[in-house]
Order: sequence, then C-alpha cells, then structure tokens
Amino acid sequence: MDRETVERVARTAHIKLTEDELERYRSDLEEILTYFELLDEAPECDNYGVNPIEVADILRDDEPRMDIDPASLLKDMNTYEGYVRGPRLS
Amino acid sequence: MKIGLEIHVQLPTKSKMFCSCPTTDAEAPNTHVCPTCLGMPGSRPVLNRKVMEYGIMLAKMLGCKVADTTWFSRKTYFYPDMTKSVQITQYDNPVGEGGIYYLGGKKPIRITRIHIEEDPGKTKRVGDQSSLVDYNRSGIPLAEIVTEPDLSTPAEAREFLGQLIQDIRHVIDLPGDGERSIRCDCNISVGKERCEVKNVTGLKNVERALTFEVIRQTKILKAGGKIERETRRFDEERGVTISVRKKEFEADYGYIDEPDLGVYHIKELAESIKIKESPLKMTLRLADQYGIDQKMAKQLVTTSVGLAELFETVANRTDVQNAVKWVVGPVSANWKSLGDKDLQPIVDTICRFSAGGITDTECGIEIKSYMTGEDASAVMGAAADLDALIVKFLDENPGLIDDYRKNDKAANKVIGFVMKNSGGQYSSSDVVDATKKLIESRL
Amino acid sequence: MIGLDLSKLKSVNDKYGMFHAMTEKESVEGSFHFSAKDNLTSKDMETCSGSRILEGYRPAFDATAIAKMRAAGGELVGKTNMDEFGFGTFSANSGFEVPRNPFDTERACGGSSGGSACAAAVFEDHVSLGVSTGGSICCPASFCGVYGIAPTYGRVSRYGLIDYGNSLDKIGILSSKATDLRKYLGIIAGKDEKDPTSCVQPDFNPGYRKLSSVAVPKEGMEGLSKDVESAFRKSLETLESMGTEIEFVEMPSLKYAMPAYYVLATSEASTNLARYVGMRYGQQEGDLSLKFDDYFTSFRSEYFGDEAKRRILLGTFTRMVGFRDRYYAKALQVRKVVIDDYKRILATHDAVLAPTMPFTAPRFDDIANMSALDAYKADYLTIPANIAGTPHMSVPCGYGSDGMPIGMQFVADHWDEEILLSVAEDWEKVFESKKPEVTI
Repeated sequence: MDRETVERVARTAHIKLTEDELERYRSDLEEILTYFELLDEAPECDNYGVNPIEVADILRDDEPRMDIDPASLLKDMNTYEGYVRGPRLS
Repeated sequence: MKIGLEIHVQLPTKSKMFCSCPTTDAEAPNTHVCPTCLGMPGSRPVLNRKVMEYGIMLAKMLGCKVADTTWFSRKTYFYPDMTKSVQITQYDNPVGEGGIYYLGGKKPIRITRIHIEEDPGKTKRVGDQSSLVDYNRSGIPLAEIVTEPDLSTPAEAREFLGQLIQDIRHVIDLPGDGERSIRCDCNISVGKERCEVKNVTGLKNVERALTFEVIRQTKILKAGGKIERETRRFDEERGVTISVRKKEFEADYGYIDEPDLGVYHIKELAESIKIKESPLKMTLRLADQYGIDQKMAKQLVTTSVGLAELFETVANRTDVQNAVKWVVGPVSANWKSLGDKDLQPIVDTICRFSAGGITDTECGIEIKSYMTGEDASAVMGAAADLDALIVKFLDENPGLIDDYRKNDKAANKVIGFVMKNSGGQYSSSDVVDATKKLIESRL
Repeated sequence: MIGLDLSKLKSVNDKYGMFHAMTEKESVEGSFHFSAKDNLTSKDMETCSGSRILEGYRPAFDATAIAKMRAAGGELVGKTNMDEFGFGTFSANSGFEVPRNPFDTERACGGSSGGSACAAAVFEDHVSLGVSTGGSICCPASFCGVYGIAPTYGRVSRYGLIDYGNSLDKIGILSSKATDLRKYLGIIAGKDEKDPTSCVQPDFNPGYRKLSSVAVPKEGMEGLSKDVESAFRKSLETLESMGTEIEFVEMPSLKYAMPAYYVLATSEASTNLARYVGMRYGQQEGDLSLKFDDYFTSFRSEYFGDEAKRRILLGTFTRMVGFRDRYYAKALQVRKVVIDDYKRILATHDAVLAPTMPFTAPRFDDIANMSALDAYKADYLTIPANIAGTPHMSVPCGYGSDGMPIGMQFVADHWDEEILLSVAEDWEKVFESKKPEVTI
C-alpha cells in the first residue's frame, strides 16, 4: 500500500487527509490488507448471490402514492424558494 | 470516423423507479419527493414492476438477448443532484445485451447493452456562487441504450436516433415530447483516440455536438496534434463542446451489487411479454416473408398495423395471391369505414372464395357490404351499375384492350370516364378494381 | 439493576452513557418500555447513528421495528449510543458518548450496540433493539451479561435502519430475560413491503424444540482467554447434563470469514456513507461558494470519525477497478463457502456453538492501545454467522476472574430462530446470571 494509492482512494472518497493521517492510514491499510491475503487462498465458488439468503423477484405495482408530506422532509433542509441549496457546480 | 451513442430514455411510468412518488410534472420544486428519492438515511428502494417490463420490451425491440437473471449495482459518484451519491443502475447482467438494430432497414448497428437505472435530480446555477437543486426528477426511471461505434457520420447518428425514438414510442407508448427527454452521451473518434460528449439533449443537438467534434478533432489531427481522451460537454447556446476532465481524472465508480433489491429471474416474464413490432421492421418483414413489393408492404403498414396483420392471416389461411387481391384491394379501400368491427368475417369470406364457394363478384360485394355496413343488394346494384358503365365504355372503345396489353396505364382512360360520368358515387378504388377486373376478363 | 424511573433517567445516563437521546416524558405511558439503537430512525428523537455528520437529523418516519414496538404498546425511552455507523467492537468509536459497562465503568460495553446492551443490563424489565452487522448484538450482550439475538438476515424489516452493510445488517433484541427474546422478536419480525429483503421469509411462529445436539467448531476454541475457555467448557458440561449431545467438528471456512466480512462490510459501507456530504440533512452549515467536490470533502473530513474514515478508505479501495475482483468479488464467494459450511454441519446438528468473544470486556485504556487490525480480529467468533446471515444468539454462561460476564453464541440454520429461543429459555432455568449493582 503506497502513499499514492491512499491519496487516490481518499480523493475518490472525498476525504482530505493531513500528512500524518495519510501515513497512519497507509500503514493501517497495509497491515489489514496483508492479513486479507488469506482471501487469495480461500476456495472459489460459483452460484453466489447478492444476499446471504435468496431475495428474488420483489416488485411493486406502478401506482403513484405519497405517504409523507414533502414539506416535512424539507423543513430541516437548507432551501431557497423550494429548491435545496447546494454548492457551486464548477 | 466512428460514433457510438449512450442513449438515456425516460420510461413513461406513473410512479418513480424505486418509490411511489408520481412522475407527472410538479407545480413546484421538491414536491414530488419522499425519503427514498431524497436518499434520506434509513430509506430503501423497492422496484417498480413496470420499469422492468419496459426494460425487457426495449431489449427485445433492439434484438438483445434478455438476461435470465438480472440485478442492480451501485455506481458511486459525487454530485449535488445525486441524493445518495450512489446511482442505482445495472453493471453485471443488465436486462439485455448483444442486439442488432437496422438503420433504415439496412445498416446494422450493434447494440452493446441496455440497462435500467434511476435519473438524478436537476441542478440550477445561481450566478457562479452556488446551486439550487430540484429532486422531483430524482428516481425517474431511465433506460440506457449503449451502441457499438457503428455510426459513421453525425447526420447518420441523428437519423439513427430519430428512427430509434419513433420505434421506442411505438413499443412503449412514449409520450409525444419524448424527443426532448432523450439525453445522449456521444463517443466520437476521428483518429485513434475517442472523446465523450456528455449529456446532450435532443436530436438536433446531438448532430451539432458531433459535427463540432468532427471539425475540432480533424483540425487537431491535420495540424499534427494528438487527440486527448477526455470527457467534454456541449454548450447549446454557443454550439461548441468544452473539456470537462481528462481521462486520468475520471471517477472510479467502484461498482458493487445493490443488496437492497435482491435479484430478478426474468426469463418467464420476458417470454410472456410480446412487443409490438415497429412499423419499419414489419414492412421489411412482410416484403421479405411474402415476397411482395416493399411499397405495397409499406402501404399496408402505414394504413394500419391491423390491416397488415389481416394480410398475414389471409396469406397464411389461403395464399399470398389472395391476400394481395383482396386485402390490398377492397379491404384496404374500405378500411376507414370498418370501424371497430371484427375482422374474422372478412377472413371467412376470402376463404370461401379461395375454396371456390363463391364467385369473385360475390366475394367483393360481401366484403364491401360487411365493411361499410351497406346493404348487400345496394352494393351489388351499385357494383352492377358500375360494371355496366365500364362494359359500355369498353364496348365503345375496342382498341383499349390492345393498348392495355402494351401499357396498363390505358386503364386510366376508363377510370377517368367513369369517375366523370358517375357523379362521384363510386370510390376511386372501387372503380379501379372493377375496371381492372373487366379489362383482364377481356384479355 | 434498577427499575426505570424517567425522573432519574438522566442521572443514570450520566453514569453509564447508554443514551444518545432520551424521552422528555415524566412517566412511561405505554404498557412496556424499550430503547433502540441510534441507527434506527425515530420521529420524535434525533437519529445520528453515532456520527456527528448526522447531528440534527430528525427523521420524518419511524423505522418499521420501532413503529411495530410502539404499535404493540411500547414506549421508546431512549436512543442508544453506538460506534459511529456501527464501526467498532467496543462502542468506543462513538461520535458522542461512549457507554460504560455496568459491571465496571472502566470497561467497555462491547459494540457496536453497546448502549443497548448497557440499557438492557441496567434497567429492570427493559428491552432494547440492537443491530448486528458483524456481531454487534452478541458481542455487547456477552460483555454486559445479557441475552441477545440477531435473527436471520431479512427476518426483521430494515426500513428505517441507517445502513452499514445492507447485505449484512440485522435488527435484533437484547434483554436480561431470555423469554423477552421470543416475545419481542415476535413483534418486530415479519414481511414489510418497504424492505424487499424482508419479503421472502417464511412465517414466524416459533414453537419449542429441545436442543438435542450442538457442533463445536475446533476453530472456535482457538485464541481464547483462560477465563473464557474454562467458562465455556463448564457450560458444555451443563449442556450435556441437560441431554444435549456435543460434537467437536471442523469448519475450515471460518478463518476466511473475517477478511471476507470486512471487505463486504466496508465496500457496502463506503457506498452508504457517500450520501453524507453536508446537504439535505445533518450538518449543513458550510461555504456554498466552494466547488461541490471541495464542499463535500470539507464536511466528510471534518465530521467523520477516525474509524469511519478508515473503513471508507478500505471499502473504497476494495471495490476499485483493478482490485474489485481480488477483494469484493472473492469475498462474495467466500460468503457462499461459509454458508455451505454451516448448512453441512446444521444438517446433522441443531446449532453450532462457540464462545461469543475470546475475552471479557476490556478496559478503555487497553482498547486505546489496540491496532485497527487487532480490533477487527476480536470479532472472529461472531463474524461467520453474520456473514452467512444465519440467526445467532449470545447467552450469559459465566464470569471471569475479573468479575466480568462471559457469553456463548449459538448459531442456527436460516429461519430457525425456534431452536435459539428454546435454548435461551431452557438455559435461563439452569444458569443463574448476575445482575450488575446499579447505584446513582
């Protein structure tokens, strides 16, 4: 686990690291991933699923419905004329 | 030059993809929202059945192989319009893969895949200082159709999109303004390296953006430069594309499976779904399958898909000759007066004729009388009068038969005479049919 | 233990730190009282999932489990402290208060449902809703000397649960009384159209079944402290005297469960936590003139705790292009291998049994000296059942020389909560558990 990789991962995850943090997480991740090499020797198998039990074919009908008043969802948001305020786009 | 498209089509469901919020136009921002489409912690997605059905329909339309089992994935990227910073989309095992779609009925365009996913919300710039977001669009279902780079010009790309949208509209009842809601990512390479122009809206803009890219890339190559692989966006007002980011800064979406939805075994569902054949496809198939002229096939399909289907039924029950004689003839001529009457009696009549049970004339009268609802004797009388008029003209102009042998346009003389002298009481198609029948009987 | 007196709730909490938020009512009006881990949304109380980034989040909806408890006459008295988003084994990674063990306040309650186990151990007739991703119910139940059950994945609706790992999270029950498990699991279990993964379960109507045989994996006897090993062996003798056959077996897949679990859990967690960007809920006070990338980064860097950042980094890495197959895809395969191993053993045994934790509740100063990997390794006994989605339960089974509780964990086949509930009730009759002395 090199510093460049940790930097790239942190940038992807939108987390800014100080120099100290970068080094600390680098060494933690290295230790953890070294241990995880165990996975390489684990047996492979097909037929594995997304969930530990088979969850299949759960669908709902196309019927519009609103159970919660949208205003109650917006009440704690930073809004302007009904729009949610966000940061600069570019 | 190679052009490939990633086309996003909003699917016309009543409720959103993973929640029940309505998809209709809202009167104000953020009024068609709930915890799920706002990505509130603790909320959860549940898939709308109709979205899966539409996905399968489009996969079939594009000639894709529909997956036996399909599921969803999480695509992680950060933007203010994406409430979870995760888009639920498909990565492994999308609804459909490996299709072929014929442009203008001739040129094959390979379809890489089609998958279904959720739309993000809409952002608005506030000066250059901050943004405002409306999440009413968040969670609207989309189908994404990805083509191979088989298109060779911007105009062809536009033509392809136009045809595709028409066909999609036909198959899934896309609303009339469907073109506006089409968004494309356009991949284009003039030389070796390709650029992607993201999120272009509408047919015209796709052609404009691609044309701009052709010129830009050609200029660079001519000047001995190198095209850099990058993502660009299209500025509609200025008609130019602008670099957004270079390839090395592309986000790593880190796809993983979506565990909140489980998987979908859609083999049986896909088998049970029959899609409407697109008009173009049906025309080509009819011409090919029954050996009729493409023009005739097109005339059938444009009049009505129902008429074209009747043609097929008659052709299968009797033969193509009878189908052409009767369905392209009198049935087609009286199609408008049929209303919502059952088609079976027409088929039966033609079958009886084919089996020799009734004469040519009787068959024609029966069909017309049934379709228009006019009394058979009136139809017969009118037909008899019409026949008499034609016979009289033919008797008076014996040279016409010889003329007809050389050029069948000679029949127009008869038709013109009858139309002029009958006070418009016969439809032109009836006159044409009767004239041809009587001339042919004298050949 | 003490009876629950709302007028003294605050002073009890001052001592043990089990609650992040508490009711402001003066008396319990419902027919019973309960608390819930703070990653379950509640309409009337702030819900933060142990994270400062969610400070101020007041959900507009109750989690299904909480709604069902309320509908059954329950009164929610508090939201319990936990490791941030469930990321921990000791509840020491809380963005707020760290709950303290009722048997020794210098020691941890375990995690990540530490506050729930603490409340269950401190208050009489109290039941707490916990959530387990990799052992977060059984671990604190064991450290605090109470009963804790995590049902089959999908048994209880996760609607309203603030996600850690969606393919792993399970809502369950902690209580000092074994009979409560049956009673309250019966209330919160069941299909819920708002959570597709809850919709494939068979009906929940457990009867009684005597535990006739258990399998003890040899791998589960490794690395135990002396106290834990001897308490466990003594419990095996007790079980035998109750007529349960005990067989030591081999489960070679168990050693792969831990790395596979951390890969899956952090891969999923890092996508779940991507939504926390300083917009829409929780912390939102920031400089909107920053470009969105920088704006989001500023919140995430400031308000996520150390372990949350570590797991986000780990989970982002394990699903990146070039690493995804080696880590994420392989971990999915290992999960299947572990499930198959359980199914093989459970075809001939009622349950798989091992100690819950390899040691008793550690002191906070010892925890501070543990490396991240050491802490991950401490979960090696609870992880296999969690990655497999099989129901599992910790029951108190002894006390160490330090006086701290020790627990053992039964694992049953998917949907077979019946055997666990039956065992708990039989065990309670023969094992007398100690109640912590509570003074305020």
